[in-house]
Amino acid sequence: MSVGTASTEAAAPPAEVAPPAEAASRTGNAVRRRARRTRLLVLLTQLALLAVLLGLWEYATYADRQAAFMFGRPTAIFGFLVTMASDGSLFRDTWVTGMETVLGFVVGNVLGTVLGLALWYSPFVSRVVSPFVVALGSIPIIALAPMVIIWFGTGLASKIAMATLSVVVVALVTSYKGATSVDPDQINLMRTLGARKWQIFNRLVVPASLTDIFAGLKLTVGFALIGAIIGEFMSSSEGLGHAIFKAGSLYIIPKVLASLVATIALALALTFVVGKLEKRLMPWRRDL
Amino acid sequence: MIMSGSATGTAPKLSARNLAMTFDDGTTRVPVIGDVSFDLHAGEIVAIVGPSGCGKTTMLNVISGLLAPTGGEVAWNVEMAHRRPRIGYMLQKDLLFPWRTAKANVMLGMEIRRNTGAEAHNKARALLDQLGLHGFADHYPSTLSGGMRQRVALARTLIHDPEVLLFDEPFAALDFQTKLLIESDTVRLVRSEGRALLLITHDIEEAVSMADRVIVLTGRPTRIRSTYTIDLHPGAAGDRNDMIAAREAPGFSAYVKQIWRDLDVGRERAA
Repeated sequence: MSVGTASTEAAAPPAEVAPPAEAASRTGNAVRRRARRTRLLVLLTQLALLAVLLGLWEYATYADRQAAFMFGRPTAIFGFLVTMASDGSLFRDTWVTGMETVLGFVVGNVLGTVLGLALWYSPFVSRVVSPFVVALGSIPIIALAPMVIIWFGTGLASKIAMATLSVVVVALVTSYKGATSVDPDQINLMRTLGARKWQIFNRLVVPASLTDIFAGLKLTVGFALIGAIIGEFMSSSEGLGHAIFKAGSLYIIPKVLASLVATIALALALTFVVGKLEKRLMPWRRDL
Repeated sequence: MIMSGSATGTAPKLSARNLAMTFDDGTTRVPVIGDVSFDLHAGEIVAIVGPSGCGKTTMLNVISGLLAPTGGEVAWNVEMAHRRPRIGYMLQKDLLFPWRTAKANVMLGMEIRRNTGAEAHNKARALLDQLGLHGFADHYPSTLSGGMRQRVALARTLIHDPEVLLFDEPFAALDFQTKLLIESDTVRLVRSEGRALLLITHDIEEAVSMADRVIVLTGRPTRIRSTYTIDLHPGAAGDRNDMIAAREAPGFSAYVKQIWRDLDVGRERAA
């Protein structure tokens, strides 16, 4: 050790340290308990609100057959959910759409993030390609669907391609934004420590971009699901989009809504997983 | 930037000769540094003070080689280690990486130089201990106070045993008490190892209490208005490395007042 001796008086920065452990854990417990109570209250209010809305819906469509036909009825929707669950189609369709969504989500985000981060390496290239990225980003994905079916066929591949296309530009833009908004002083710091460009990239740019990358991930879960369902609308033999399209063309609106409930559940589940992943990969973020 | 291969004992560690810097974007010329020369020897602490906006940070960037001067030269007399001269930097912003723990932040430069053996880890831990951060090695910066974060940044700077330290207002964002403690620690760690420190600051009391020499700059384009050799003898029990004792030493306030006057003259002339 070659740093000599420092004062003992300064070795314990007084006003800077936390209060004694016991007091800290006591207040910590109180804070946690209050937070848990608030969370419970929010959840109960949400459930109550949902129950009221469903009750009103049920009441409004109970006596009115035409309204029940047009808007479905919670009990009828539940009935379809039970039938679809018992014949297995609910789980198969959810599984298929989930697979398409997850695969498209992963491919699109890996592709977009790698490209977006790589653009950090060359400001020249990023300036050259930026109008093309904007142009690609402005294409409504649904307009690509017929072509995608022609290129990739009517099977799984075309749905994955649709999901990927819905994701890739957003992932590229968010990760590029993350990479280019790194504090230039931090880059200078890396330089003064003798870092080479790839070291600056690995040790600074990539971790610093994680926050923006995850913002993109949360956004693109929904986009991937939309892409997969559009793909299924165009041409498919299974999946939630297929079920919705088929029930819709037969005017079985409660069945449409039952499949929609499954779609919402799928979206919530995928968002939950991304949130967990974010928390796991960014342990330094106390706000997550 | 001239870098001599081998360090010799008596030559100054850092020598600035007739430095000049003019920013020119084709339409407007902004002369920031007029003509500045000074030497920094081993074991010496030199503070540079000047009116705000006089180009102190530009000067640091020129000295550190981030900017090429438009006139004059900077000569270094420090050894190289891993392609880099043994110079340490510290800024007002701690620039800690939030995804790294305190110790991992200190280890950053060691990792870049691929020196991550047990010895380096022990050194990082020992430095944190010496700076009063015992038990905080595995904390993330978001859980540390401003003063503690700046101590981590100081440890990150010192872990390479730099011969010369370049500090740009590193304590400006800290509260007074924290500032005095970390200033004292810095001075102790610098003097005990015979390092050289160039401290750029706008805080005259900080400059007088820490430095052996204070250079007062004029407004832009900046030149050296005056140089003071600080000679403080803080009492019998006093310690020159104790920033509270230094501030109570006879002569301290005379230096501060004189430097204030020097800076005031510059302001009148600029107005």
